[in-house]
Amino acid sequence: MTQYLIRRIFWAFFLFVVATMITYVIFFVVPADPATLAAGKATKPEIVAHIRRELHLNLPIYQQYWLFVWNLVRHGSFGYSFVNGLPVRTMLGQEIPVTASIVVGGVIMYLAIAIPTGVISALRPRSILDRSGMIFVLVGISAPSVWIGLILIYLVGFRLGWTPIGDYCDLRPTHAIGVCSGPGQWAYHLLLPWITLAVGSAALYTRLIRANVMETMSEDYVRTARAKGASPSRVLIQHVLRNSMLQVVTILGMDLGLLLGGVVFIEIVFGMPGLGAQLVQAAPRFDLPVIVGIVLFATLSVITFNFLVDVLYAWLDPRIRLA
Amino acid sequence: MSELLVVEDLQKYFPVTRGLVFQKEIAQVKAVDGVSFTVEAGETLGVVGESGCGKSTMARCVARLLEPTGGKIIFDGHDITHLGRAQMRPIRRDMMMVFQDPYASLNARKRVGEIVAEPLDVHGIGTDKDRKRRVQELLEIVGLNPEHYNRFPHEFSGGQRQRIGIARALAINPKLIICDEPVSALDVSVQAQILNLLKDLQRDFDLTYIFIAHDLNVVRHVSDRVMVMYLGKPVETGSKEELYAEPKHPYSGALLSAVPIADPTLGRARKQIVLTGDVPSPINPPAACRFHPRCPRFVDGKCNVDEPELTPVAGASDHAFACHFPLERWPMDEDEIRRTPSLATSVD
Amino acid sequence: MALLEVQDLHTRFRTDDGVVKAVSGVSFELDRGKTLGVVGESGSGKSVTFLTVMGLVDRKIAEVEGSVRYDGEELLRASSSRLQKIRGRRIGMIFQDPMTSLNPVKKIGWQLEEAVRLHNDVSRDEARRRAIQALKEVEIPRAETRVDDYPHQFSGGMRQRVMIAMALINQPEVIIADEPTTALDVTTQAQILRLMKKLQDDHGAAIVMITHDLGVVAELADDVLVMYGGRVVEEAKVDDLFAQPQMPYTWGLLGSLPRLEQIATRLEQIPGQPPSLLHPPRGCAFNPRCAYVFDKCRAELPGLDPAPDKPDHRYRCHLDDAERERIWAAKKAALTGVEGSAA
Repeated sequence: MTQYLIRRIFWAFFLFVVATMITYVIFFVVPADPATLAAGKATKPEIVAHIRRELHLNLPIYQQYWLFVWNLVRHGSFGYSFVNGLPVRTMLGQEIPVTASIVVGGVIMYLAIAIPTGVISALRPRSILDRSGMIFVLVGISAPSVWIGLILIYLVGFRLGWTPIGDYCDLRPTHAIGVCSGPGQWAYHLLLPWITLAVGSAALYTRLIRANVMETMSEDYVRTARAKGASPSRVLIQHVLRNSMLQVVTILGMDLGLLLGGVVFIEIVFGMPGLGAQLVQAAPRFDLPVIVGIVLFATLSVITFNFLVDVLYAWLDPRIRLA
Repeated sequence: MSELLVVEDLQKYFPVTRGLVFQKEIAQVKAVDGVSFTVEAGETLGVVGESGCGKSTMARCVARLLEPTGGKIIFDGHDITHLGRAQMRPIRRDMMMVFQDPYASLNARKRVGEIVAEPLDVHGIGTDKDRKRRVQELLEIVGLNPEHYNRFPHEFSGGQRQRIGIARALAINPKLIICDEPVSALDVSVQAQILNLLKDLQRDFDLTYIFIAHDLNVVRHVSDRVMVMYLGKPVETGSKEELYAEPKHPYSGALLSAVPIADPTLGRARKQIVLTGDVPSPINPPAACRFHPRCPRFVDGKCNVDEPELTPVAGASDHAFACHFPLERWPMDEDEIRRTPSLATSVD
Repeated sequence: MALLEVQDLHTRFRTDDGVVKAVSGVSFELDRGKTLGVVGESGSGKSVTFLTVMGLVDRKIAEVEGSVRYDGEELLRASSSRLQKIRGRRIGMIFQDPMTSLNPVKKIGWQLEEAVRLHNDVSRDEARRRAIQALKEVEIPRAETRVDDYPHQFSGGMRQRVMIAMALINQPEVIIADEPTTALDVTTQAQILRLMKKLQDDHGAAIVMITHDLGVVAELADDVLVMYGGRVVEEAKVDDLFAQPQMPYTWGLLGSLPRLEQIATRLEQIPGQPPSLLHPPRGCAFNPRCAYVFDKCRAELPGLDPAPDKPDHRYRCHLDDAERERIWAAKKAALTGVEGSAA
């Protein structure tokens, strides 16, 4: 098991380095000049040149990359935004909680919907619940999150006025005036974004869990458990659920990477100042430090989650552990 | 009669790797570890053994679906041991295989006609019309309705699917057909049909068979000569009459006595030898004689030190066994088999 | 009174393609301490019969009719909680494939303990003690350490021993073994069969041995049921069945076996394949394949009637008794005439 973990950590680190290098290379392949963009319109060439020197853009790629790595390792700094000069670390520090709130809350919500629905559908195939569940699934998979988000904002937020239309509230209560904060407000404002995120994935996971549970129910060892005299609920909980969750865990790991991409739409639609929204602003401006910072964070998250998924899988399935 | 197939000291090892980043080989699975035999044209060699004995791996090496790690395979005079794919092609016209699982060995998405015609296709034989005619001919030979040319495998029963596999093997008139457990997955009543079919085909088309099975009854019925394998090595070979009447190796004896007899009176009367323990793994085979940990005749200091060689029985050129303390007579029961003669006396 | 009495059992499955008549009127009795061999090929209904007896058939898709009386109690109309008390406690079951019949993510000890604690109000320590004891009884070496291993750490033969231990741990009166050795090597099979005989002697349990292997039946059974197309087609004491089989299907089965004690050049083959249970043939289910078929066979199902001189030996066949004797005598001569040594 330890060997397994060490190997995963090694590969994780390796991936991390490769991701940053590739980002740098892409940046330099794209024809654009952040110095000009940063300088603004109608500036004298000397000023642009000065900016370029300031931002070290006159140095060759590998030197710029080396500076970046040095900064990161020595000072824990991601550099400064080309656009507004703020430390990238601070910017990320503010935006990560927003994105994380949306993603984590959304995942919990869709698992909370998908697991019971999937299990019940599997236990009662072709029932009304199962069939209506499948229709819900179809809608969820087909409709794009932007559309769902806008519909929800219009109907629930605007027309019915049940929830706020957007904006992010800090989890920690502050007493600043004009700014909402506190866990209640935080969750209240995140309700619609969570639902938007959840609808698409809940559908997929319900179907997946339904299929897995049905398959596990027909396995020989479930028949053995029944033959021992176990009650149906015991069979379900002790024998079926854990085995059917294995595949769900794997897919969850893969999905988290995709989710981070999808969250961009949600942040824009709901006006949440998260990483996605930030990236959408930084990219056309070729704000390299910010872009690299976000890419790094995203890469780190995906790698970490996949790693955790692997560990969880090994814990759930002893065949992996002892192989 | 000439020797169609000669196998000398065949070895096939599979590496077992481990390592953090770079995989390095720490052990080998010695699936086949020194098998030699010959098959004469027109005869059937039965290969019998339990799981892990290497019989399927050996078959795949002979058919060159795998490349041997060592040894030589000489088919019809050609040394095919390390031939490349292009060079093997013309050889493959003469050597075909029939597999165990009638459900998995046919491509479910292809029609039966296509499946049977595939060897013709691959070797570029005949026009489309010729092929269709040949396929219908083959379907009839194996006892299927030639009109079912366009059906899919799932429309047939297990026994019928096995017939399709046999038709496919016959398509280009091979000399040798290797049958890897062809009837194990079939019902008993259907088994007999396929066994009879295989025998008829051998007679009608001058075929040579290597017949691999774990069921001793079946092997005896179809074979002329039999080879018993254990953990990658042959432990006894001989004509079926001799081997079944007078087995010399304790493992052969145990195998024979383990087969349940479909006759309660005979069953109660017979002497049975039941081995202890499980078949060990081919990764770490026991030292010297591989059977020694389970052998009722084990003699410490000899069987775990000196590896026995395949030795012919005096007076019978065909019958050979690899044991220091072969059985003096047959049948024996569990007490009798444990009485090993002293070390001073050895083989026959 | 017999321990298990099954009368006119029917099990029909509703599927998308129609109704599958898996079991069509099966009746038999099992006495305490005896071994009943149930022989049949695919589609004979042998497994479904006993799954129905155990109540393991999904009543949402299956119609079950008839009567199953266990020690006087009617099981088919029993509540599911009552059935749960009987399964694993008074009737134990062993299945065919030991590789898939054990839960791969739970330790062997846990699975054995579950079997104990489902039916006995004992502490975990006591359950564990019984689990280790059961493993020792099925001759698994180092039971104290092995009890904490997972199924994939055991070989096929060992896993089947664990299954047997699990079925026996609550000292049931009946063990139903559904093809317990089919997936095992022949030397392992011999070990398992010998173990089962010993355990039967020690515990006095009745065994139902479901198999397609007539050799296994000859070795273990006291009485035999031959099943075909969802029905019992012949029923006899084991010696009688092999000495004087009365039904063409049984003749075909015996004749199509390659045997060590015979040197037949050509095996008797039964043409065709086992019947579809979706559209079973009219009359006798074997008629499309029978060499002795005549009109009555296709019109009317023969009853399971006893032989004139042996009330225990019953069979389903319209053939005239004299004719039957003649045919069997001829077959027997052919089978045993050219004989090698009767080892």
